[in-house]
Amino acid sequence: MTTTQSVPAPAPDVERPTTGKISIMMFSGTADKFIPLGILSQAAAALGMEVNVFVTGFALHGFTNEHHDLPFPVEFEAMAPALAQGMEAKHVESWDTMLRKAKELGAKVYACSAMCEIMGLTKADFNDLVDDVVGAATFLEMAEHGETFFV
Amino acid sequence: MEPETVPHTLVDARGSACPGPITDLSMAYRRSKVGDVIELWATDPGVKPDVRAWATKTGNLVRSVEHQPDKIVVVLEILRR
Repeated sequence: MTTTQSVPAPAPDVERPTTGKISIMMFSGTADKFIPLGILSQAAAALGMEVNVFVTGFALHGFTNEHHDLPFPVEFEAMAPALAQGMEAKHVESWDTMLRKAKELGAKVYACSAMCEIMGLTKADFNDLVDDVVGAATFLEMAEHGETFFV
Repeated sequence: MEPETVPHTLVDARGSACPGPITDLSMAYRRSKVGDVIELWATDPGVKPDVRAWATKTGNLVRSVEHQPDKIVVVLEILRR
């Protein structure tokens, strides 16, 4: 069946488009947490929002040149094969492909300088997803007046 | 029907899961000019509310959303860049 539905013009919104900003503090190093990172960063960037990702803690391993297979948390391990199969069947892209698209639309990714020091990592140890190594104060300043997620 | 004189860009995002269609739309938007019409084809069921959110955020207009048997067709008018 074919139905056509006309959508009335949202007059106030057309007059004054909203922008906005999300900042994602990526801390967890398990595969499940990287899926929402990809989806939310790509969707926000597609909406024209400013997107800042601050990578710290166990999440740093997802961004190094040396490849690390991100594990699933034990409580989700049983679900992981069905999830992977479903994502493939529905052509859901990998988290890094989604984040790369977000970056094409302006998203920025920063690695935490303190965690880099602790782990003995420098900017050269990260792949092309990482724009720079910055401190917490820089990230907090970037995140100010926007929404911040801790993942 | 659109008059043929209006620049009409077709974005085929069929088979692409959320947020693929909105991203493809956003990429086309970057190449568009004020007054352009973008037609988006998608199969992801989230596209209908998502294009409205996109239009609100970017200040553009959703002209129509049509459910066809094999796809959802959204026509947008670019009001601002």
